[in-house]
Amino acid sequence: MIDFFSDQLFQLVWNGLFVGSFYALVALGYSMVYGIIKLLNFAHGDIYMLGSFIAFVVLGGAVGLLGTASLPILLLVLLITMILTGGIGVLIERVAYKPLRSSPRLAVLITAVGVSFTIEYGVRLIFGAEPKVFPFRMGGETFSVLGGRISLPQVVLMLIAGGLMWILQAYIMRSREGRAMRAIALDPRASLLMGVNVDRVISRTFFIGSALAGAAGVMAGAYYGSIDFLMGFTIGLKAFTAAVIGGIGNLYGAMLGGLVLGLLESFGTFVLGGEWRDVFTFACLILFLSIRPTGILGARVVERM
Amino acid sequence: MTMHGQPRAARALVPLALAATAALILSGCAGGLGGQDTGGGDSADGPIKLGMLAPFSGSESAFGVYMENGGQLAVDEINAAGGIDGRELELITEDDACDATASVAAANKLVTQGIVASVGGYCSGATLPTLPIFNDAGIPMVIPAANSNKLVDAGLDTVFLINGTGTQQAAATLKYALKSGATKVAVLNDNTDYSKDLATSFVNQATEDGTLEIVLDQSVTPGEKDYSANVNNVMNANPDFVVWTGYYQEGALITRQLIDAGYTGPILVGDGSVDKKFAEIAGPGYTDTVVGTFTQTPDMLEGAGDWIASYTEAFGADPGPYSTQSYDAVRVMAEAISNAGSTETDAVVAALRELDGFPIFSGPLTFTEEGTLSEGGFAIVQIGPDGTFVLKDDLQS
Repeated sequence: MIDFFSDQLFQLVWNGLFVGSFYALVALGYSMVYGIIKLLNFAHGDIYMLGSFIAFVVLGGAVGLLGTASLPILLLVLLITMILTGGIGVLIERVAYKPLRSSPRLAVLITAVGVSFTIEYGVRLIFGAEPKVFPFRMGGETFSVLGGRISLPQVVLMLIAGGLMWILQAYIMRSREGRAMRAIALDPRASLLMGVNVDRVISRTFFIGSALAGAAGVMAGAYYGSIDFLMGFTIGLKAFTAAVIGGIGNLYGAMLGGLVLGLLESFGTFVLGGEWRDVFTFACLILFLSIRPTGILGARVVERM
Repeated sequence: MTMHGQPRAARALVPLALAATAALILSGCAGGLGGQDTGGGDSADGPIKLGMLAPFSGSESAFGVYMENGGQLAVDEINAAGGIDGRELELITEDDACDATASVAAANKLVTQGIVASVGGYCSGATLPTLPIFNDAGIPMVIPAANSNKLVDAGLDTVFLINGTGTQQAAATLKYALKSGATKVAVLNDNTDYSKDLATSFVNQATEDGTLEIVLDQSVTPGEKDYSANVNNVMNANPDFVVWTGYYQEGALITRQLIDAGYTGPILVGDGSVDKKFAEIAGPGYTDTVVGTFTQTPDMLEGAGDWIASYTEAFGADPGPYSTQSYDAVRVMAEAISNAGSTETDAVVAALRELDGFPIFSGPLTFTEEGTLSEGGFAIVQIGPDGTFVLKDDLQS
């Protein structure tokens, strides 16, 4: 088997990890929100899309002012975008999900789908349906490693993604706020009784998840170069798949699931052909849901009646 | 329980899907209720109404404006010259959004507005379901842009195409590939009607010809950003010529990613990718090896200078792809109605069939048995320094 891939092995792994790090960033928000309030936020992929459009506007302004764009500027824009998309995430939760917190789960799910459409077609109204060209394109050296080609932008973006994920896990695992988030994921009612401010923690979760999705959106814009109002749809579904594969509600599971899904896609399409990519991806989703719904890392599932 | 979200979501979507299907069936049937021969309540006085479906929203919306303006220019010219038998022409446009559902609704709307002929159709996938609607209502069609072989295969004698078909475009693609010394060709399509049709045509013709080897024939998923999987497959097949038959949104990204992956040969794109956005999305330095097959646009055509001037004067904007074809579609239809001496379906269709060497931009027009051009009129274009496509080779030799 390895023989079959041998001259391709590195390239396939690299492609898989690169795409997978985008999936992982988006999957984190999916997974965290699910872990805390058991909601599948279907609008999450659209936050990724919003991130790329906000960066498009902010960068366009910066390029207009400075006449040029560089990596430090992109990083600054990344930060601004993360704060804005985080804020939008919090706002969505307040407006659309909070009033429904005690409603049946299906009602919230449908609302999430509604929010998703609202964001998509709102952006379409403002920016039009045409794909927009990102004002800053990451270019750079391409070098050969072990018979594969990797490019500088890919390395930079993966470092950024890795850095963001490292900060996140440190925050969740080592800070007071992180402990509160984990507590609520475990048992919201007990946390409330112990004096944890549940509302604030939920808002914070939405902020962090949306900021990460927004960051992924900026990175996608800078790397691929074209953005459009529907770009969040597929990646939202893929991120959900990644979250399920890793174990939904599990922080490390989301990261792992993203990378695993990227690799699965990369190797799967190599064997089956490019047109099978999404078929293969969602077949994996069905497989996991039916055989191991708790995913690889298997978040402990407590069914509350 | 982690599994609840997904199945419930699916269940909630079922009524939605059902409602959408019902709406589709209902609107589809509405077209079949007409069936009168005179093309929807045409009275002998009042304007002669021509309908045009084109995309005015959605990803292809730029083309709708080019088409509407081109058609309107012809209508204005004919009216200025006294109309047809003393009756004015009127162009009624409707948005098909390049979407099969929207186009069916829009076609029905045109029929109820009493059009006697159709001069629209850009996206093949959206145009195809409108054919029976117009046909049942006794409305002859001259389609300016849509060119899938499926439109021809529908076998309706009221349908005429004045853009070269997929088969003709594929022939031009093959001709150029051979001319440029290609030996191993990779073909990619985006799974749309138009794109698959063009790819299949090309592969069939190349196989029949036998001089080329098709090393890869694959679809990509449209609307994505990352095509590394497809690009990887192309690189493994090691082609010296790549053919992309889809639209520019994906084509530009694939081109960029192919070149990043180390591909250096020519990349030939179909007319759906010939748009100045292609160069913008692909980015500077990524379009030197890109060529396209295209029906000649006003700026490539000799002697179109006056026409461009009057277009620009009328609409305050430059003409674009399919402006000339739409202009021609109106002229062809008007000529047929004028020759027929009536707007009666059979007479107009017969008059369209009898056209012999009627001058249009792509050359003298005579329809084949199937209602297609006897001459394809495709040329090879390349991306100029400002990102627009310019003529490279008219393939006449």
